Amino acid sequence: MSYIFVTPGMTPKEIVRKVRELPGVAFVSLGMRDAGQSDYKNRLRIYDLKTLAPYYNEMGFFAAECHGGARWHVGIMNRRESPFEEIALLRELMPNVLLQTLIRETNMWGYRPYPKNVIEYVVERVDIDVWRCFSFLNDVRNMRLVAEVVMKRGRLFEPAISYTVAPWFDTKYYLKVVDEIVALCGGVEEIILCIKDMAGVGTVQSVSELIDAIKQKYPDLIINYHRHITDGLAIPVLVAAAKAGAKLLDVQEDTLCRFYGHSPILAVEAILREEGIPVNLNRKAAELAVEKVREWIRDYEWAESPFKGFDHMVTKHKMPGGAFPSSFEQAEKGGFLHLMPAILQVMSLYNQIVKYFDVTPGSQITWVTCSGIVNKYYKEFGEAGVQKVINLLKRFVEEKKQDFSAMEEEEKQELLQLFRQAPGDFKNLILGHYGKLPVGWPEDWVYQSAFGEAWQEKIKERVETSALENIPDEDLEAQRKQLENEIGRAATEEEFILYLMHPKDAIDFIKFREKYGVAPLVLPTKVWRYGFAHPGDKVEFELEGKPYSIELVSVGNESNGVIHVVLKVNNKTRVFEVLTPRAKKTEVRRATKPTEIGAPISGTLWRIGNPKRGTLKPGDIVHKGEEIANLESMKMENPIVAPFDAQIVEICVKLNQMVEEGQLLFVLKPLEEN
Amino acid sequence: MPVVRDIRKVLIANRGVPAVRIMHTCRDKKIKTVAIYSTPDRLAYHVFLADEAVHIGEAPPHDSYLNMEKIIHCALEKKCQAIHPGWGFLAENATFAEMVEEAGLIWVGPPPQVIRLMGDKIKAKKLAQKANVPTIPGLTNVQSPEDIRKWMTEEEIIFPILIKAASGGGGKGMVRVDSFEELNIAFEKAKSEAKKAFGDDTLLVEKYIEKGRHIEVQILGDKFGNVVHLYERECTIQRRNQKILEEAPSPSIDENLRQEICYTAVRLARELGYYSAGTVEFLLDPRTKRFYFLEVNTRLQVEHGVTELITGLDIVSLMFDIAQGKKLPFKQEDIYPNRHSIEVRINAEDPRSFNPSFGTITRLEIPQGPGIRVASGVYEGADVPPYYDSLIMLIMSAGADRAEALRVMDRALSRGLKVEGIKTIAPLLLSIIRHPEFIAGNFSTRFIEEHYQELISAFREKTPEDEVLKVAQYIAEISALGPQSWM
Repeated sequence: MSYIFVTPGMTPKEIVRKVRELPGVAFVSLGMRDAGQSDYKNRLRIYDLKTLAPYYNEMGFFAAECHGGARWHVGIMNRRESPFEEIALLRELMPNVLLQTLIRETNMWGYRPYPKNVIEYVVERVDIDVWRCFSFLNDVRNMRLVAEVVMKRGRLFEPAISYTVAPWFDTKYYLKVVDEIVALCGGVEEIILCIKDMAGVGTVQSVSELIDAIKQKYPDLIINYHRHITDGLAIPVLVAAAKAGAKLLDVQEDTLCRFYGHSPILAVEAILREEGIPVNLNRKAAELAVEKVREWIRDYEWAESPFKGFDHMVTKHKMPGGAFPSSFEQAEKGGFLHLMPAILQVMSLYNQIVKYFDVTPGSQITWVTCSGIVNKYYKEFGEAGVQKVINLLKRFVEEKKQDFSAMEEEEKQELLQLFRQAPGDFKNLILGHYGKLPVGWPEDWVYQSAFGEAWQEKIKERVETSALENIPDEDLEAQRKQLENEIGRAATEEEFILYLMHPKDAIDFIKFREKYGVAPLVLPTKVWRYGFAHPGDKVEFELEGKPYSIELVSVGNESNGVIHVVLKVNNKTRVFEVLTPRAKKTEVRRATKPTEIGAPISGTLWRIGNPKRGTLKPGDIVHKGEEIANLESMKMENPIVAPFDAQIVEICVKLNQMVEEGQLLFVLKPLEEN
Repeated sequence: MPVVRDIRKVLIANRGVPAVRIMHTCRDKKIKTVAIYSTPDRLAYHVFLADEAVHIGEAPPHDSYLNMEKIIHCALEKKCQAIHPGWGFLAENATFAEMVEEAGLIWVGPPPQVIRLMGDKIKAKKLAQKANVPTIPGLTNVQSPEDIRKWMTEEEIIFPILIKAASGGGGKGMVRVDSFEELNIAFEKAKSEAKKAFGDDTLLVEKYIEKGRHIEVQILGDKFGNVVHLYERECTIQRRNQKILEEAPSPSIDENLRQEICYTAVRLARELGYYSAGTVEFLLDPRTKRFYFLEVNTRLQVEHGVTELITGLDIVSLMFDIAQGKKLPFKQEDIYPNRHSIEVRINAEDPRSFNPSFGTITRLEIPQGPGIRVASGVYEGADVPPYYDSLIMLIMSAGADRAEALRVMDRALSRGLKVEGIKTIAPLLLSIIRHPEFIAGNFSTRFIEEHYQELISAFREKTPEDEVLKVAQYIAEISALGPQSWM
């Protein structure tokens, strides 16, 4: 029998109806996105992930999340893959499967709110079937534009409520958010609601209660429960969610499971079956996919988090599964991995002072703010300083129940400095630039602490509107020109979208791919990361349907910063020159300003000055149109003339020097006009 | 009566493509070859191809390929009977030709006095006028920009005008001027370039014919006064006044005009007492269908190959025969061109900016297949030094008609040729032969300027062969350097 019940091209209404008609539950596979984000720093490459696609095509998933979150950004920065290439590949290999993205409302796939016209432009052009959209503030207003564009395109909008467990986020609070979502989407017929338990803190009781309450109010609303496994208790909660009425559950391959991702697909299927809840899953195909992962997952050991094991303390510090590896990575790079326990402790206190949801970009703001505080105290006072700030916050939050006036004068002063060095994004957050905070703005002392004397004015600047209303539109044509200037040619539509999301990283990506071509798409992960070690090591792949092979002959020794590598490319021996970081970089000064005269072409500067007046030296006055130097290149002379009346400030090259195009020749100072 | 003198060994006073071209025919004719080379050319292709090679001097041309005494000395020392100058360098240097003959060597080229006469553009023009060959309005022996101003007023000449070196050729020392403001700098530039390229800074100025077409006639004469033409070539596609694409027959003229131009060229050659190979260049005004004499190139032309392809003759071989005192083995009516042929010049230049691009050729694949002829001055791994002409290869195609020749050329450029390590103008050439206006035959010497944006935007996308080398470069880097921090 076929397990395929929804396919790309169906209308949202049809998809929702199909899910309702399922006797039990269906799975959403996070194997191609969130699994990799949570435990492997988003480094799982499409080269490997695509091996799962043929199984996915038969498995009967509701959808496969393969896009969005941080996968987009890490893709262009680290894996050097474009999200558009990934979609194209998966569309070809698993045409039966709905492709799902995770999008951060106005923050999209970046970390800051984008202007409306950018959101519209991009969402219209990304070929995704299921748009799971969340707000780290549960500010449903911020979702409006994405919802509108997605629904207008006839794709499925899946609004998510950011979920955590805290006294102030009770069922009543979440129901209010669901009300807003249902109002925004015009009912429950064309959407699926996701409960995004991104840290993995929901309990059997809390989740059952919430789903039950939602189902009572909106019996026809389809619910998808998304839960990380960080606390070690995920599977019982998934079972409880299914029993309470969730129709869709997020899972991943058992062999991908570590500590911060999602529950194992085969295990969840087994326990649901035992509980008498039917699962729409081709178990045979799932088993093969689970097995397939083993073929390549060991190539990613380097990408795994250094802290291994479950962490039930997540219920306090609330760091989301998707943020764990990147936080560890930053701590490791910054040399403060040993401060992680203290930072997590500070987070568990901080999140009671400034209340929002720890998920992108909130989780980054929390992380940078808290790791900044801990680092600052560590630098000043060592371990004792770290203990001191933890004690201060404990006393304030736990003992004094955040009654600022009840603190000692000295402690008050300390707290009033706490956020002074907080990142700009923290300050933007409490000024309302991301939207309204879910349960009100922080206390005044937080503003005093962040802004010092100007705090009252800053509070006046605080905005209550949606982030959508706060950012002016960008001039897209100007942006496109800027990109094309950078890459020196016309940009494709996809390149332009990458640029709109992450300008600097997109340019790096485009330049990388111009230099190294399809290397990220065709090389096995071992070769991608380590290259070849032994003569005879070889890769084989096809391009445009023709076979290619690259084989190592030898790697030479370094000499003057150059290593020669001999490879056989389709049996033809070729020598490749590799510059090592030690390679001497002869920096060529380039003309960049109007007062700087650069070489129009490469050649020899055979004359400075002109035959009439002879050579020139700094301090000389030259007149507009006067020849000031001459370049010879392949027997052709190229006069360089003064563009305006000027005094020569500097002559940057020597006579008869070889210069390259654009190299700085003269610095001029325009003569003042009388 | 000329004496038949045997050439068994020849010194080729050139490098790169012309040297290689001549050596091919020498091999056919069992004439031994002696190459000369400058220091940076020590491992150049023409050195390998020759039977013997002599180091001639340092990189600057006047120390090496223009060093007349030394070249003649080498030829004598190596017991050569002749010197072939190729094109460029000393090919049109009458003094050198005389020195060669005075040294008792055979000069494989036209009579030195004809070279001298035609090398002086002013005298050449006067002689043409005398022979009833139409010429462009102009002023000879220009001393200062003032002379030009005066001439323009008197003769009611309007811009643009062209300042040229009296002894020039090949676009060097040739400057187009569009306004009085540019005149002074242009004059100086032409003067200085002329001095540098030809050792003579005498200038002349002419009216510039807008949208003119460049048509030239290949002539061939023996020492017995027989002169024939091998029909015309169209060389209108130029950049910076240098030809980059030539074809034969010309698509710009009809049969009547063809006969008229060709016989005009023969008439002039007879008047000159010309022997060996030479070319009479004309500018065709496409509006009036009138043609004007430009100059006589007293040497083998770069583009002689297209004529060889349409006539089936080997012009270099005939040059040797004529130099040895043999009679032309055919008459005018024996020559039947029955193909269409196109040549492109692969210059080591940026195809967008035409800036020279020198360095090592890291990859070279040469086009093959029916209808293709290639003369390459380089090989994979060769260095292209910055001191000389940027021409690295000639690619020619032939077919029954122009459309077929274009198809073959398209294959050669898009599927055959691969050059890496340096830039070439190949993408531009491919764009040109695919341009509808070029295909339709509607073009002038300003074609590239007029269609620049379209030509540039049609530069071809990547091929899998290029891609795989990029992948290999990546593997090489990671294999040598290990995992990278950006990963």
